[in-house]
Amino acid sequence: MNQYVCRFCRQPSDPNSPTCPLCGAPVDIRDVVSDSGWIEQPPIRDMARIQFGQSHCQIEGTTVPVADFSLAPQDMIYFSHHVLLWTDPGTRLANMSMRGGWKRMKAGMPLIMMEAHGPGHMALSDNHAGEVIALPLQHGQQMWVREHGFLCATGNIRYDWDQTHVWYVTGTGDDKETHYPMGQYGDIFTATDRPGLLLLHSPGNTFIRDLRPGESLLIQPSSLLYRDVSVSVHLHLEYPRNMGFAFWHPRWSYRNIWVRLTGPGRVAVQSVYERPENTDTIQNSSYATHHRW
Amino acid sequence: MTCGAPLDVKDKVSDSGWREAPRLRDMTEFRFSGSTCQVEGELVPVAEISLSPQDAVYFEHHVLLWKDESSPLSSLKTQGGMKRSLGGMPHIITVASGPGRVAFSRDAPGELVVLPLHPGMELDVREHAFLLASHSIEYSFVRIKGLANVLHGGSGMFMDRFVTAQYPGLLLLHGNGNVLERTLRPGEKILVEPGGFLYKDSTVQMQAVQMPLRTGLMRHSMYLAEMTGPGRVGIQSMYVHHHASE
Repeated sequence: MNQYVCRFCRQPSDPNSPTCPLCGAPVDIRDVVSDSGWIEQPPIRDMARIQFGQSHCQIEGTTVPVADFSLAPQDMIYFSHHVLLWTDPGTRLANMSMRGGWKRMKAGMPLIMMEAHGPGHMALSDNHAGEVIALPLQHGQQMWVREHGFLCATGNIRYDWDQTHVWYVTGTGDDKETHYPMGQYGDIFTATDRPGLLLLHSPGNTFIRDLRPGESLLIQPSSLLYRDVSVSVHLHLEYPRNMGFAFWHPRWSYRNIWVRLTGPGRVAVQSVYERPENTDTIQNSSYATHHRW
Repeated sequence: MTCGAPLDVKDKVSDSGWREAPRLRDMTEFRFSGSTCQVEGELVPVAEISLSPQDAVYFEHHVLLWKDESSPLSSLKTQGGMKRSLGGMPHIITVASGPGRVAFSRDAPGELVVLPLHPGMELDVREHAFLLASHSIEYSFVRIKGLANVLHGGSGMFMDRFVTAQYPGLLLLHGNGNVLERTLRPGEKILVEPGGFLYKDSTVQMQAVQMPLRTGLMRHSMYLAEMTGPGRVGIQSMYVHHHASE
């Protein structure tokens, strides 16, 4: 028997439901695929429900969507306290202990995660126009997420974080500065003993792509939203041909900073990102490929 | 007087009881007193008002997008100028009188919330959320004591208060992101992130409550706004976060 698999969360799903009960993606629409192979992630429909454990989450709104949780007594989610919008007084909130507080603070990551325990209702929202992305994770499945992309996860999903190993240094002496174009650290989520749900907030629109083994592409570093851990990442420095144009300051260089993603695996990018602005000559970097036109 | 909400769509109410504010269709037009308001755009909507000679609207001057040259402007006398300035609220409220056309918008993606006020209504609105109000609505402001700790400036949180006496009026708000409304029963409570609060009936009591949690490196206390019914509460999904800075 052929089993219906959701095109977006890649989990066995119900084709008779208007939206995937696991990730909220509409079932009754055709794929929107660009000529270059990017699949547009359809926004979760207003008031769509996503089931996890005995609880569910309802997505409200489409500009800055709210994730409204109805938590069963045995269920728990965790999140950064910045994203809490409202809660019933009966929902129990608690601090979640985190390792590496000093490093997290230096990297601009939230120091404290909060837990919400059922039974009760509570809701989360980020403060950028964009989309909520639901990623159901099967037992043992791992997902890498760019820092600040995380909205919340169910209690059985383990949360780790590690260095991105993508950096470059500009300047010398007192002007020396290390840049992390896709953040200093990335979040890694692993479903441990059973399936779980991971919610992300993606500013702008979201596009996903499946890379074949060895297939690679270049993207703006801060546009990467999530990737399978099988996808490798490194810096790529591209220097366009100068055509005789000269900067008045000898330290400035004319270049593009990319990250190269190499398959196999799934990657997702968001259409709102920060463009690297520094133009100083790169003195040193993490492993990088180069191209001079 | 109408609010421009589409009549051919069903109410969108979540399982937890929040009702989405009706998204006004592009170019929707509705009337108030002898004037009309047309809503243009959907991402950062513009409210374009065609004022009849006997009507006027008031607003914070920085929300003015464009106006007919002939439409007169004046200022509304407000009390507590120094307090308003210290609280970060606009010192001067501007009045545009008819006849003429004037357009308004705020500078964030969101929704226009149209609130027709019947005589004898009182509504509290978070500071800098009101787009405009018709001249028949009385305007004042109130300070929410106890929220001083929530805002690091320590000046407390001010709210605009709009009251109708014997005439109805029209109040337009701009909510950042999406706007949701819930009607609380008498004594029913809900805890809201203070930055997400948008408006409430004056019958709803609002106070800061300290949560048994600590946030940030300095282990700041976490405060939420406790709203107690009866009455309506409106929230916005995109907001300035008022908790610990990390």
